[in-house]
Amino acid sequence: MNKNVVVIGAGVAGMEAAGRLAIAGFAVSLIEKQESQGGHLNNWHQLFPDRRDGKEVSEYLRKLTQNDRIKLHTGTSIEKINHVKNIYAVTTSSGEVLNADAVVVATGFDLFKSSRKEEYGYGIYDNVITSADLEGMFQSGKIIMHDGRAPEKIGIVHCVGSRDEKVGNLYCSKLCCVTAVKQAIELREYLPASKVFCFYMDMRMGGSMYEELYREAQEKYGISFIRGKVSEASEAINNKIKIKVEDTLVGRPLKMELDLLVLMAGMEMSEGGKRIAAVAGLKTGENRFFAVADQHYGSNNSNLKGIFLAGTCVAPMNITETISHARAAVSEVIDYLNSTEKQRNG
Amino acid sequence: MENLFELLQKDIRFEEGLNACMNCGVCTAICPAAEFYDYDPRKITDIVQTRDDNAIMELLKSETIWYCGECMSCKTRCPRGNAPGLIIMALRGLSQDLGLFTESEKGRQQLAVKRTVGDSILNTGYCVYLDGITTALHPEQGPVWEWVQENREKLFERLGGNYKGDGPGILRKIPEETLDELKKIFEVTGGLERYEKIEYYSKLKAEEMDLDLDEGIDNEYFRQIYTYNNGCHTR
Amino acid sequence: MKIDGKRAIWSEYQKDIEEDHYFYVRSCIRQNFFPGSEVAFLRIMRDVLKKDVYEHPCHTTCSGIGYHGDVVPVDTAMTVVARQFALMTEAGYKNYVPSCITSFGLYTEILETWHHFPEVEERVRKHLRNATGREFNIPGNLAHASDIIYKFRKEIAAKAKYTLVNKETGEPLKVVDHIGCHYSKMFPSKGVGGAEYPYVLAGMIEEWGGEVIDYPERRHCCGFGFRQYLVQANRGYSVACSREKFESMKPFKPDMILTNCPGCPMFLDRWQYVINEMEGTTYGQNGEGIPVFTYEELAGLVLGFDPWDLGLQMHQINVEPLLDKIGIEYSPEKKFSLNTDPAVSKVKHFAKAVY
Repeated sequence: MNKNVVVIGAGVAGMEAAGRLAIAGFAVSLIEKQESQGGHLNNWHQLFPDRRDGKEVSEYLRKLTQNDRIKLHTGTSIEKINHVKNIYAVTTSSGEVLNADAVVVATGFDLFKSSRKEEYGYGIYDNVITSADLEGMFQSGKIIMHDGRAPEKIGIVHCVGSRDEKVGNLYCSKLCCVTAVKQAIELREYLPASKVFCFYMDMRMGGSMYEELYREAQEKYGISFIRGKVSEASEAINNKIKIKVEDTLVGRPLKMELDLLVLMAGMEMSEGGKRIAAVAGLKTGENRFFAVADQHYGSNNSNLKGIFLAGTCVAPMNITETISHARAAVSEVIDYLNSTEKQRNG
Repeated sequence: MENLFELLQKDIRFEEGLNACMNCGVCTAICPAAEFYDYDPRKITDIVQTRDDNAIMELLKSETIWYCGECMSCKTRCPRGNAPGLIIMALRGLSQDLGLFTESEKGRQQLAVKRTVGDSILNTGYCVYLDGITTALHPEQGPVWEWVQENREKLFERLGGNYKGDGPGILRKIPEETLDELKKIFEVTGGLERYEKIEYYSKLKAEEMDLDLDEGIDNEYFRQIYTYNNGCHTR
Repeated sequence: MKIDGKRAIWSEYQKDIEEDHYFYVRSCIRQNFFPGSEVAFLRIMRDVLKKDVYEHPCHTTCSGIGYHGDVVPVDTAMTVVARQFALMTEAGYKNYVPSCITSFGLYTEILETWHHFPEVEERVRKHLRNATGREFNIPGNLAHASDIIYKFRKEIAAKAKYTLVNKETGEPLKVVDHIGCHYSKMFPSKGVGGAEYPYVLAGMIEEWGGEVIDYPERRHCCGFGFRQYLVQANRGYSVACSREKFESMKPFKPDMILTNCPGCPMFLDRWQYVINEMEGTTYGQNGEGIPVFTYEELAGLVLGFDPWDLGLQMHQINVEPLLDKIGIEYSPEKKFSLNTDPAVSKVKHFAKAVY
């Protein structure tokens, strides 16, 4: 079948979809606004729950997309998407018009901007960092405070930008709990003298082998889990971070002085996704992610025939789910193109 | 008869203050009262959302609803948009309307608030007025306040006040017609009824406690509620 | 601490504050404890900035202390406030400026409630009609008096006689800002700078040459807590709150505390005295307390007003160490003088005149 498919976004979902579409015989244009493909995965040191190197998954995706049928357009964004009969004319920022028989939107997520939780002082207090900043530290191999010393007492705040009406995100980002557990373990490995506290509201360890990792964090690594949402952070004169939280299982307010506070930033609909929604006329839901045609059996379908959704532009997902969702999108694309082909021939 | 939860729902502050609580404790974590008293606004919010009338009845008679300082720090932070401080205000209102406030040491203090601030509003047009702020009731005001009180007429004149004067200005006399308007407002909006209930139930309690209670603040019951602290409220 | 992070937040909370023609409403607590501050506000507005500020002789308490003392029901408080709005409407004003933070918070809460529950506003209109026959318009602009001084902080700086600089060392004075809880904790968007890093006082401090001190318990309540102070048996709460703040700010060696709420400066002043009496602890330098000021007092000092015209003799903590640091001229023997000299009769005129 000599058909063209445009895939928007070359993160995990977009690369998986592009690779599978190419294998199925389609000509694929893979559009990425960044200068390189790979998405957030590039910035992640180790993956949960098995602690494998993020680079291994990147490498798998890179190999998968090394296919003559895939044309990669990096540093390229989408200006316009026009629908004429069964063809989508996709205009890119370089002025090129790509005619597509189908479009896969895989614009992914943005990490919640932690400075919006003003009370935690990210961007103000020297020793408040995000989960993404900490991954960067893991990659560089240097876990340090603002003054260059190694932290000894570290707090991890769950649900930053998730389950929070105050920032307009009612949903659970689903992966921050397990990220916190993974990062807590890594901190203890890098800094054996450190003490790590996780402040959670509910431990949502729903993925395969997550609960086991949580148990290991407690049993093997002695990480403390305190049930309570951190209410505020402040900076003491010695640059330490003071936090206020309630230990809700004891029913007592608790103050603690920490060397480093790590904020588990949640996932939000990406700015790029919002742009695509606007230029293509795609519907978004109350949580601002793309609205799917059916929550149960149509999670790759958008409100527009021929435009399909893949990965975390629909909802928070881990890598396993993202890859499965991208493959499912490919299957939807194939069914759709078969049916349009039959209509034309019929 | 309506149940207690339904009565609470009639209070606009309860409507505004309670959505649904997930017990995250963010309110208790920064609550000045929770730091000082054996107090947990999260638990109160959780109790009212059970809609359990027996549990709400216990709250209305309890010490715990009187610990909040109404600073509203809880409202800033709650990720569910609740305001435990507003829930407390609704509970305190209902506790007084049903005469349950006299069941607790801290609740009984409402008569002291009524007879100082409450009466001052209607008698002077001010929540507090210089003449009533004595170092007998407020020893923490210190020696400077003794000096202020001793010289209040000259001092307020010297600072550009209008103490008990006509027209606008600092501590001016509020005209009688204005005070009449305030009283009328209290009459039509339930303010006077609240005052009367506080007085009525306090008198019943004073009899029960065998303490003398007449008008004003110079009586056994007032002194008792104003100064007594059983020492068991803090953590 | 990265100041740029704060600036980003400050830029997100811009508040509309009108230029002129204000309907001024006094604070019960401030009239008793800080009369010089309200006098200074009117002097600055009318004399220095040439603004039109109107004070109605028949305005009253907003009943806020009674409301938060839980003896005044919500409908009563709303109707008392509605009457104040009626006076504003009758006087032909629409920019409402309360001197009190409890009032400001109550007005904000009421306006929000009416916005979301129009039937409540209708009920209150009926209450007011029945009780007084008055009608009212909702204010076009609601700004606290500290918002107004913030708005004109640059104009004040341009006319300043003194800056917040230690004249011996040339270093900026370290100033702790304390914001009244009801200024923006309930409705962050209604305050300059929001709830977490309010800028209303910080902006004045920066503009007048001082350095703002951020310390861990900055956001903590002073400890008024309404019934927690009003009733003697509860005052342990009040002093414990203030003490917590003092302990937290002490390592930063602040030269002064600046406040925008009626009760806070009084509590932060008086509880330092009490703690010293009880424990012998002082929080300032050289065994002194940390002087506490209202924003009008500070604006007045910067503009060169006489400290004793500002009522600084009514503070329990001596202000002289701070005056000396800045190099403000004052007469020690006039501090407790009760003579109303000609300079002050000028002040008096601001209290009496109706514009």
